[in-house]
Amino acid sequence: MTILSVKGLSVSYQDKVETRSLLEDATFDLGQSEILGLVGESGSGKSLLCRAIIGLLPSTKLSVTSGDVVLEGRSILGLEEKAMMDVRGRRIGMIFQNPTSHLDPVMRIGDQICEGLFRHGSYSKQDARVQAIELLTQVGFPDPARAFRSYAHEFSGGMRQRAMIAIALSCEPEILIADEPTTALDVTVQAQILELLLELRKKRGLSIILITHDLGVVAQTCDRIAVMREGRIVEIEEKRKLLSAPQHSYTKTLIASHPSFDDHLASRALDDDIVVEEPHIKPIFEVDDLVVEFNAGKSWFRSKAAFRALAGVSCQIFPGDTIGIVGESGSGKSTLARAMIGLTPITSGDIAYDGAVLTLKRDQALRKLRREVAMVFQDPFNALNPRMTVEAMLREVLETQGEIARNAIDSRIDELLELVGLDVSFRPRKPKSLSGGQCQRVGIARALAVNPKVIIADECVAALDVTIQAQIISLFKELREKMALTIIFIAHDLAIVRELCESVIVMHHGRIVEAGRTEDVFDNPEQDYTANLLAAIPNIDPDKPIGTRTVARAIQGN
Amino acid sequence: MAQTRPFFPQLKWRALMSSNTTLTLGFCILAFFIAAALLAPLVAPFDPILQDASARLQAPTLLHPFGTDNFGRDVLSRVIWGVRIDLQIALLGVLFPMIIGTILGTVAGFLGGIVDTILMRIIDIVLAFPFLVLMLSIITILGPGLASFYIAMALVGWVSYARLVRAQILVLKTMDFAVAAQSLGYSRLRIMFRHLLPNALTGSIVFAMSDVILVLLNGAAISYLGLGVQPPAAEWGIMVAEGQGFITQAWWITFFPGFAIVCLALGFSLLGDALGDMWEAEV
Repeated sequence: MTILSVKGLSVSYQDKVETRSLLEDATFDLGQSEILGLVGESGSGKSLLCRAIIGLLPSTKLSVTSGDVVLEGRSILGLEEKAMMDVRGRRIGMIFQNPTSHLDPVMRIGDQICEGLFRHGSYSKQDARVQAIELLTQVGFPDPARAFRSYAHEFSGGMRQRAMIAIALSCEPEILIADEPTTALDVTVQAQILELLLELRKKRGLSIILITHDLGVVAQTCDRIAVMREGRIVEIEEKRKLLSAPQHSYTKTLIASHPSFDDHLASRALDDDIVVEEPHIKPIFEVDDLVVEFNAGKSWFRSKAAFRALAGVSCQIFPGDTIGIVGESGSGKSTLARAMIGLTPITSGDIAYDGAVLTLKRDQALRKLRREVAMVFQDPFNALNPRMTVEAMLREVLETQGEIARNAIDSRIDELLELVGLDVSFRPRKPKSLSGGQCQRVGIARALAVNPKVIIADECVAALDVTIQAQIISLFKELREKMALTIIFIAHDLAIVRELCESVIVMHHGRIVEAGRTEDVFDNPEQDYTANLLAAIPNIDPDKPIGTRTVARAIQGN
Repeated sequence: MAQTRPFFPQLKWRALMSSNTTLTLGFCILAFFIAAALLAPLVAPFDPILQDASARLQAPTLLHPFGTDNFGRDVLSRVIWGVRIDLQIALLGVLFPMIIGTILGTVAGFLGGIVDTILMRIIDIVLAFPFLVLMLSIITILGPGLASFYIAMALVGWVSYARLVRAQILVLKTMDFAVAAQSLGYSRLRIMFRHLLPNALTGSIVFAMSDVILVLLNGAAISYLGLGVQPPAAEWGIMVAEGQGFITQAWWITFFPGFAIVCLALGFSLLGDALGDMWEAEV
């Protein structure tokens, strides 16, 4: 039974100068208790489509130009604001990507749920409380009564997302629109949230529209998948059909660029014999029993208990190696990387780079590090000074390093841009006028300008679309071949690490729980934690269950 | 991405257009005042300090469009000559605190630790005193005059800028581009003033332009108390103060210089808004 149908919906942007079509002829039906996945790159119009459905277009310059939205036989498109408010929340609920910014920070979670209950139902204060606690139980809070009294900041990202789902559910909607609900979360938490959505569908008969850019997420949760590109739904099909026999070329690219596991197993097996261990080479990085503590709230008269970001980490990294550091957020991956290049003060332990001990001869080691180790950052927009042109940024590095003659700098800049696959015409552009992928390329060019021996990439593809992720990864592979780089690749996405890295370090709670060659660790994980991390990855194979049962247990165990 | 790209140039153009009206208006007002200051000897109909006992407290007429004051001096001429001093007060009185405050705020925010603590406590101390009382005591110690006023202004006024900029820097220095700059081995000075400061400047510029109003009023207050510009020099603050006693019989003595202060302040604040927007739009 169809509950919501969208017929030929078009949205366009209009101002005095021009009219541009942002959404063209979107047509789909959503069945009773069906989960429809909406996939596509950022800017493909996924979110806009959903906002158009509930009549909340983000700007007054946008308007629906044609088409219709029918909710149970009644058109809701031209509805007055007052009637529309009844549809929102009560009929169609929404949850968002970033639970932190969509929860009211100064209002208790319970009150935020009750607000919805009062708005759409007739509850007494007491009933509302009971109902809210019931909802909190349903979305999996272990102590719902306490959660009721808590504020958003007292919860982790995953718990906040659960709270937001509870709020959306409070009005008992028939349809839930989830806009990238798990993008900001760790894989393990993501798996839990997705499982929760599946459970809610089963219990309440909820219909869900799940927006995401990760094909893996939809493959395992949705019934049907719609692929969007440039404002059009290019393909909509039952998920198995779509994944096994994609019709549209874009869908094929999307599937090909998904770093899912199984495709690589075969090719990896072949490479195995070729790689030779070289134990006699001196390690380029040696980390010995490294401890990093952060003082949370130090004052003049007392020092509070310090937070241990790294609790005794030892590892060796050999030149020419590509090593992946994986783990959930908060596991100390980034801290380790930053400590290694002297950006974070060390509490105890030793770090040596190419024989220079950072803890003993700090200045000398730092000078060497700054010259030979470069970093690529997670958020490509944040990592570039918004006021500087691409050229100015590269020039600055080259001038500060002072290894190239002034008159050779110009040609070196061209060379660097070419190396990362950017045109010379990018020189005068500022970060604002670059896309995420281009920004990241500039970031990499800046790192390469140092002429480094080692590149530390800190979650450098996490903020990018899958197709662009794939491009950046292949860029890294290419650079590794060309320049004999040592790459330390920090990521929470294990699939990418598998694709790129030769060896891997798994971190958890500031400790290394497992390390070794990538194939060994991934195929035969010795630790439960690693196994759970692996199981939680969204897989493009729709028949694989989301492995949260085991993961949930592991998390409770900690 | 491809979908949203073509938006940018167009949006920027619109932003510039809308800020252009304020820019043009602010610029025109200021240009008018600057012209008046430069051409004062030519456009002022009378000598601003020439007293004429026969023409005391005359209401605005064609001969004296702004009327005359209690000494028979032409108010229009005095307002025109006053631009010279008041523009100077507005510019220097804002410039010094802004420069000092911005630099100290950047340093405090970036270095943190003991430097930050000390600077912030000094700011607390300065702020704990009533603004005028502190100004007055500094000027009294240094001796009356405009130079003392500027020094006092610089010593007291920097705190707002320092606070403003420090808060911005604290946010900016944790951003990846600052960490990147550090990891590339740039010097601290370079990171502070080349990378962080330009991104923290918008608030400072806008605040400076609205601060002009406060500085002008302060200058007037100080002159009124006899510690700033000395009579019989034509300065709007003094004129307002002198006219106060005659407010019921001769409103024009106070009204016109007061109105000039408002106009000048308006010009600065419009220009400040527009400049701030342009500085932002560049990103």
